[in-house]
Amino acid sequence: MAAQNKAEGGSEEMPAAAAADPSAEQKERLIAAVKKEVKQLMEEAVTRKFVHEESGGVTALCGAVEACLGQGLRRRALGLFKTSSTTALLHKIAKHCPEAALVSARVLAAEGAPATRSASGVERRPSAPRPPLCKRGSGSLLSGSPPTSRHLWIRIALFERQLAKIIEHLVNNANRYYERDALVADPDYGSILSSLLVGPCALEYSKAKAPACFWTDPPADELVQRHRMSAGTTTPPSVRRPILNFKRSLNASSDDGSSSNTGTGKAAGSSAKDYVESLHQNSTATLLYGKNNVRVQPKDVEEPMPGYLSLHQTAAGLVIKWTPNQLMNGYAESEGIDKSALRYHLVHASECQHTCVLCSLAPTCTVYRRRCAGPLCIDCVYWAMSLQVCVWEVVYVHVHRSQASDALILVGQDGVQRPPIHFPKGGHLLSFLSNLETGLLPHGQLDPPLWSQRGTGKVFGRGKARRRPLPSLCESGETEEPEWEETAGDYVFRIVNNAIADREAMRHSLLERAVQSPPRTPRRPLASTSTTSSDSSTMSVDCPPSAGLNGHPPLTPIPHQPVEQAASIELVCSTMRRQIISRAFYGWLAYCRHLSTVRTHLSGLVHPIIVPRENAEGGLTDERWLAMTDESGAIHDKDEVYRLVYYGGVQHDIRRHVWPYLLGYYEFGSTAEERAEQDAACRRQYETTMSEWLCVEAIVRQRDREATAASIARLTEASGKLKPTDNNDTSEVFEDDCSVISDNPPIVSPEPSENEQRRPDKPVLSRAPSIDEVDNIEMDSERDKETKQNGETENGDNRDVDVDSLKDLDENEDVHLKSVVDNPDMRRESIAEIKRLAEEIVQKGDGRGLLCSVDSAHVNGTGSDFRSSIDESGPSPHQQHTSVIITNPSVDLAAGGSPVSGGTTAQVSPARSPLGVVREESQSAGASFDTLEPADRNAQDNRSNCVSPASSNGGVYSNELVESFALNLHRIEKDVQRCDRNYPFFTDENLDKLRNIMCTYVWEHLETGYMQGMCDLAAPLLVMMREEAHAHALFNSLMRRATDNFPSGQAMDAHFADMRSLIQILDCELYELMHAHGDYTHFYFCYRWFLLDFKRELLYQDVFAAWELIWAARHVASEHMVLFIALALLETYRDVILANTMDFTDIIKFFNEMAERHDASAVLSLARDLVLQVQTLIENK
Amino acid sequence: MAKTYDYLFKLLLIGDSGVGKTSILFRFSEDAFNISFISTIGIDFKIRTIDLDGKKVKLQIWDTAGQERFRTITTAYYRGSMGIMLVYDVTNEKSFENIKNWIRNIEENASADVEKMILGNKCDLEAKRQVSKERGEQLAVEYQIKFIETSAKDSLNVESAFYTLARDIKAKMEKKQKEASNPAGARSGAHQIRANEQQRKPTSWLSRCSLL
Repeated sequence: MAAQNKAEGGSEEMPAAAAADPSAEQKERLIAAVKKEVKQLMEEAVTRKFVHEESGGVTALCGAVEACLGQGLRRRALGLFKTSSTTALLHKIAKHCPEAALVSARVLAAEGAPATRSASGVERRPSAPRPPLCKRGSGSLLSGSPPTSRHLWIRIALFERQLAKIIEHLVNNANRYYERDALVADPDYGSILSSLLVGPCALEYSKAKAPACFWTDPPADELVQRHRMSAGTTTPPSVRRPILNFKRSLNASSDDGSSSNTGTGKAAGSSAKDYVESLHQNSTATLLYGKNNVRVQPKDVEEPMPGYLSLHQTAAGLVIKWTPNQLMNGYAESEGIDKSALRYHLVHASECQHTCVLCSLAPTCTVYRRRCAGPLCIDCVYWAMSLQVCVWEVVYVHVHRSQASDALILVGQDGVQRPPIHFPKGGHLLSFLSNLETGLLPHGQLDPPLWSQRGTGKVFGRGKARRRPLPSLCESGETEEPEWEETAGDYVFRIVNNAIADREAMRHSLLERAVQSPPRTPRRPLASTSTTSSDSSTMSVDCPPSAGLNGHPPLTPIPHQPVEQAASIELVCSTMRRQIISRAFYGWLAYCRHLSTVRTHLSGLVHPIIVPRENAEGGLTDERWLAMTDESGAIHDKDEVYRLVYYGGVQHDIRRHVWPYLLGYYEFGSTAEERAEQDAACRRQYETTMSEWLCVEAIVRQRDREATAASIARLTEASGKLKPTDNNDTSEVFEDDCSVISDNPPIVSPEPSENEQRRPDKPVLSRAPSIDEVDNIEMDSERDKETKQNGETENGDNRDVDVDSLKDLDENEDVHLKSVVDNPDMRRESIAEIKRLAEEIVQKGDGRGLLCSVDSAHVNGTGSDFRSSIDESGPSPHQQHTSVIITNPSVDLAAGGSPVSGGTTAQVSPARSPLGVVREESQSAGASFDTLEPADRNAQDNRSNCVSPASSNGGVYSNELVESFALNLHRIEKDVQRCDRNYPFFTDENLDKLRNIMCTYVWEHLETGYMQGMCDLAAPLLVMMREEAHAHALFNSLMRRATDNFPSGQAMDAHFADMRSLIQILDCELYELMHAHGDYTHFYFCYRWFLLDFKRELLYQDVFAAWELIWAARHVASEHMVLFIALALLETYRDVILANTMDFTDIIKFFNEMAERHDASAVLSLARDLVLQVQTLIENK
Repeated sequence: MAKTYDYLFKLLLIGDSGVGKTSILFRFSEDAFNISFISTIGIDFKIRTIDLDGKKVKLQIWDTAGQERFRTITTAYYRGSMGIMLVYDVTNEKSFENIKNWIRNIEENASADVEKMILGNKCDLEAKRQVSKERGEQLAVEYQIKFIETSAKDSLNVESAFYTLARDIKAKMEKKQKEASNPAGARSGAHQIRANEQQRKPTSWLSRCSLL
């Protein structure tokens, strides 16, 4: 829409540019216009990935550029006064500028190519209908000269991506072609202009892809946006509708307006969508006529408002549409203008308190209250005013010509008048009518026809049209309306539809004779989406058309019908009527019974008592929390806490303190000390568990390495064998590698995976001659392999492992223990520490000398971690130091309960030497560990005691257990690695924590095992609590409920069933749609919602709020808050879903694309409303 | 939006978790790669319409969760699919071994004539490779399924894999159509879909104007 403005703006500037003496201000304006166009075009490109050549933005940009180029152009220098002097300019510079030459040739070709000279570059491509916007922009221009032809060369230059270069050339040689004060000659503006255009020149313009936009489904965003535009014309969300027809409605006040609307809802929704589509891209409708500033007076507005009138030819017939200018021009400015005009009838309600009745999507905009309808947002007010009339529904077209303006009134089949449409003076009405007449062909016609006179075009058939004789019988069985005759210029045209006339006539006459108040014929009155006419039209449904609005004389029966026949038909009709009514009644009865059963079922979903909401909007704030805490640090009033959290959420700062309560980890009423104790115990427990599984992990790692080595060895052997024969038919993909490998077939490299993870680019299998370092390692590794020793080699930037020495040392050892500690960044310290313990345990537990090599849990192989090995033969003092001083707060705590300061702060103790290290020391001749402090020794013993229960088990880890844990471990690592990497919190360090939480939980619940999604559930807890043990405890509580959602549990199916019941009760229209498709009644599209408590649907801060709501709701309103949030999500987009008649695939795609884009606070408050609604429903029973 | 495609093919991506199903799909549908893909929960799908011998073929590709725990859910989608991509990770032996299980799964749950294809993904990570191309080929020969090694990261063979599968489905479909058109009682998937689609539009149009 802005594009149109632009097009107009551009044409405005043309004369300005031609003015002789342009000021700097003018240049500024021209450049600003170009800037704006470029910006818009780039935005379009970003959102749509490509720009259609015929897009309005392109035209507008061309116009703006042309204006710039035209300004200050020395026409004389060109020696030409052609129609388009810039085109002449192009041809002129073509001699000097190769880009211009290319474009110039293209332009000539394009101009010469089509048979019709007038055809522009655009029209030579018949592929897609012209976007209506474009047309609209030109609608007021002469139809003979499409605006595109004026900018043809700029257009082509743009598509050829030469425009920027050409302009640059012009700027550089400006003195030759331009006046001194021209924009192009200006050193600043000129270069700005050319650089501005670089962007659009880099875009992808497509005509070939044009149809693609028709056969790719629109993304969810676009659907929502389209819907938002058309929101006013769709049904109100069910919240506002009477829930059950036979129940008292919950909110009767706002239902008056909307209930009259519901009948029109479905069709209106789809036609509204169609309307918006017709403004966007249009494969189904062609625009026949468009006119700006046509005035229509909607019902609640005093003055006629200007708007855009258009006539569309669609598959189903002609459609007349009128849209207020405020909508066409965008919302922002409309806000400013409208108030004065509308204040009279629209009472300004307090801002942001109400959700618009029509579009629940726009709760933040200013809300107005119309006379008997509910609150409306301003967009919807305008949407309610817009008109859409299907021409086949119109029987008469009244034309009133007066001095001031030409008015046109459409009268429906039911006699309902549409609001008058006032055309500006000057032939517009006539051209509209002639377009209408053409559009009606071949199936229909205007009666009487517009007269055609040679030379002057069409004029009104004066003598005939006025005072048409009133035929008592016309084809369609309608009476002729008496014409009114206020002024001399009144005409009435009848729209005759030949196609349905016969059938229509038959049925119509039968029914009208037989029944007092006949059911309507298929031609229903409400083609108009406007609510302005809905009141009158619903009224008219009950009246026979003869008694229509305007008090016309009643219908005279058709005399041709024989009387006997009429009587028998009357009998048939009355029988039918009775049958229909009784059937309807029984249907209704059955429906009621069914619903009451469903309602009973639903009563289990919510708490019977409605907790009041007073003063809870602010939620649980810091002050309130403090106020509730007594001197011992205990919180007693749990109901109040729950209530506040439920209605208002928790202030972010205190979430960390509140969550443990909400999840049931802390008891209400516990004192601060008790909680501290609990924390400490929990942490101890956590450490213990962790040390247990870390032992097993060590074993798993070892096995993995062996397996990896084996498979790589096998692979290498195989490739070594196969290569010579295989070389020829290897696909080109592997050519490089293959050739390298075949150079050195026998090289075997048992490098553990860590190695490659860190430098994935360097081929390990192959000998890369250029990299000496790698060479060395591989040679070493080869030897390593021979000795069956799986050494951990270090490489990369800080590679300082001497593998040879390592190998020598280990050659005859059963046990090779090697531990790698993370260094200088201390992020892995805790793991490393516990790993050490684990090694120790393994050694103790398995005296036979279990091969156990623990590396520093290379979970997140990011490749950036610096590691150093402590068992190198010649350790530098620095490394020695760093590897020793790291200690783990958690281990310290386990040893003596020393205070823990967060998970990551390292307490530096001079040395720590678990047994494993001592042993290792003896093996690896690393004499540096001699300096052990006695105090630490003490702690050491403690620690050993602490883990000894585990270590006693160490030997009896069954193969089964190890394997099952290995399986889980691998899964966890895979998922942790990719968990929320976009969220800055999840650095490697924190991912390690997450991994530990997962492993610990899985270790405790090995029979359940790890299931995908657990990571997602733990992540927000970790983000909030920051501390592993604590987060783990909360995760435990969370999983108590959530486990059931996973495939092993039953909760998911129950959720689906409940969802179905809820939708059936609360939104039968949606339910019907689902049933009509039949394929998503199983509600699998909600699967992820329920499994992860909406964690993937919302952004983190919203997830926090949603989770709090869910937790608190258990105690306040509903055990199954997730259902209501899901329902709220569905309801938020129900109109989009209905309007697009989405099937299962559509809906899955829609919600997957909408993930993290929802307006969470609106959804959550809607969810609360829904709970309340169900509560009220059940209470009333 | 008129759906002016000629065929609609439903494809399915299965394989162990972390083998790169989502990445392959993302590469194919958006031509992009993102290392930070989160594990797929439940199901998702993407659409891309391709031009195949002058026909517009709309591919609706379903992406599934890899963990076998979720198979109860994912197998629900086997039935409607016309083509299945079995994905393994060349740097993960286990995922390759599991291909056999996945094939068994298909045999149990999918329609008998579903087109299959095996993809060995992550073939850019040559250094970490655990499964040789030959083994992949062997397996493919054993099951008489087409095989190709891909890399979503380097955009290797992803396009061609989907095109191949789509072309196979189309060929099979057209063959069936031909057979079906000779004897009476034609029932061909693609034709039906096409007819349905065309039917769907007019009905929605009618509902637009006549239900008012």
